[in-house]
Amino acid sequence: MISRASFVLLLALALSALPAAAQQGVSDTEIVIGGSNSFSGPLAFTGDQITKFGVDLYFRVVNDAGGIHGRKVRTVYYDDGYRPQDAVANTKKLVEQDRVFAIIIPQGSPPVVATLDYLEENKVPMLFPYQSSPVTRGKRWVLQGMTLSDRSSKMMIDYLAGQRKIKRFAALYQDDEYGKSFLTAFEKDLARFGLKLAAAESVKRGVTDVSAQVAKLQAAKPEVTFLVLVPGPGAQALKERQKIGWTDTIMVSTGPLTDERYLALAGDAAEGVEGLSLWPDPVTSDLPGVKLYREHMLRYHPNNEVNRYSIAGYFAAMLFTEGAKRAGRNLTRESLMTALESIKGYASGILPPITIGPDHETQKQGFWVRVEKGHFKPMTDWLKSE
Amino acid sequence: MRHAALATGAAVVVGWPWAAPRYFVFLASLIAINAIVAIGLNLLSGYTNQLSFGHAGFLAIGAYAAAILTIRAPALPVPAALLLAGLVTAAVGLALGVPCLRLEGLYLAMATLAFGFVVVEAILNLDWLTRGNDGLRVPAARLGPWTLATDTARYYLVVTVAALLIVAAVNITRTRTGRALLAIRESEIAAQASGINLAAYKTLAFVVSAFYTGVAGGLFALVVGFLSPDSFDVFLSVDFVAMIIVGGLGSILGSVVGAALITTLNDSLAGFQNYRPLIFGAILIASMLFMPGGIARALGTIVRPARAAAPPEPPRQGEDR
Repeated sequence: MISRASFVLLLALALSALPAAAQQGVSDTEIVIGGSNSFSGPLAFTGDQITKFGVDLYFRVVNDAGGIHGRKVRTVYYDDGYRPQDAVANTKKLVEQDRVFAIIIPQGSPPVVATLDYLEENKVPMLFPYQSSPVTRGKRWVLQGMTLSDRSSKMMIDYLAGQRKIKRFAALYQDDEYGKSFLTAFEKDLARFGLKLAAAESVKRGVTDVSAQVAKLQAAKPEVTFLVLVPGPGAQALKERQKIGWTDTIMVSTGPLTDERYLALAGDAAEGVEGLSLWPDPVTSDLPGVKLYREHMLRYHPNNEVNRYSIAGYFAAMLFTEGAKRAGRNLTRESLMTALESIKGYASGILPPITIGPDHETQKQGFWVRVEKGHFKPMTDWLKSE
Repeated sequence: MRHAALATGAAVVVGWPWAAPRYFVFLASLIAINAIVAIGLNLLSGYTNQLSFGHAGFLAIGAYAAAILTIRAPALPVPAALLLAGLVTAAVGLALGVPCLRLEGLYLAMATLAFGFVVVEAILNLDWLTRGNDGLRVPAARLGPWTLATDTARYYLVVTVAALLIVAAVNITRTRTGRALLAIRESEIAAQASGINLAAYKTLAFVVSAFYTGVAGGLFALVVGFLSPDSFDVFLSVDFVAMIIVGGLGSILGSVVGAALITTLNDSLAGFQNYRPLIFGAILIASMLFMPGGIARALGTIVRPARAAAPPEPPRQGEDR
């Protein structure tokens, strides 16, 4: 008994003595990064696509080409099913047991917020979280991924109220951090034009029947109705509008909603719908980076359709790789963050040139699209949010 | 023999943060929290035979109560916050227990299942208090001059509370109350005929069970540090039921062992949760087929083969299986 106890003690001492030698998660041959994500629960499809078909796809290409400064990248993921306490447990496990170098593309505001303080305290980079609430702003060790809601709102209102001179707006929003952060931003941006939201109706998360809300919004007679929802209820709102024959409003989807899934679910009810798109069309775009992404997908996952989720993960891995390359052979968390912060005008071939400044935001742009014959047709060039 | 085992156990628990890697300190805290819930649930389901699939709801109430207290009254010491969280939850347990008196078996399970959903809806709708879907960040708790900011500090708080509640539970089961609860499990009619006030004892079981789970909820809030309604889904309630079935119905030791097993299993399956229901289902079925008394009784069989050879019998006074 005593010898076993002392053995455990020795083992613990040995383990705690190790990390001082080198950067955690970086060895001579390998870089280990990971993340807690949704592989079950409401966002399971997205979680699968951004990690296994996005991040891992790009790293496979990198590893097959020799890795980053001779080191192969290995990823570890755990499922939190969108539950914050599981995200906390998974993240602690990744940092303390799997000893990952950094956390990449965790998904959803509640799981991300739940792990934010822990990662900051332990100085572990949280790279490109896949959520749009500004709660991640102003953190030393967080580099935001998805375009934040206030930037999206600014682009949308500047375009609609500024360029198209639309005066009457309403919103159908999800009753959580995602929906409410957009609502606050809409009100602030409309105020700059001396306007207000004519009506705003909320949808509880997980609810699919939105008929009552759509009827109330119709009564407010808005020229534009924003949809701040997830694909299921978003598509339901479009169908409901078609059913009641409400034609004199333009339905506009926010960045996180404008995706192929929402389009497919809505079917012909989506015709003429507009929205802000955060990514070039993964299926049809001729941009060199998007073409390359399709080629890689075809090579490694021929049966997986291309979509905005996997391209987001692919792009996150691309930015990580760029940062790690710039940091050089002596890769530490500090050197990675410094390298990423130094990125200026980086041409990814997917998004417009990326500059990461002290604001730690990687994506700040989007462009306007309109659904024509079941596809998103670009209506503008990239819009600015600064 | 028994004292030696207890002393060894205590030494392991106290020394754990110094011997184990940091993540396992956090994991051990979760195990202790789940053990408290499992004991609470076992007092209700294992001892009194009142099934509950709504304990995630009680856990949520305790967690939110403690979190809101810690946020609104930062000067409040941790033990007071935990006690209040337990009392608030116990009050809800009383409110739920009384109407549930008339329900049995499947219907009681359905009512408690519904209770779990109602709690989540209530959290969503009381968003001025709970911040709804956005979730609630729980600040580090204070205990006198100390801030419980490290995993180790929180671990010691959790195991201290767990130890107190385990001792209390063992004592409850050894008194007249415990025997009354067991009598209700064996036969409600016989219990009533022996002069046991069914309504009072069933309600008491609900209240005590809710109190335990509420205190565990308070600890959960402090250890996890962030609460959201997503945390308290029905699967969590099912996990709690699995803990007491695998561990052993009507056994305090079994509750602890079951909690440890299910929590560890959950953690090691974090990489592929799609198979989780399958693995959990298989374990539950296997445990009901091959060790209907749970691990606690199976252990007893190994240690005391002569006594276990006798046909299944209700645990007697002073016996903790």
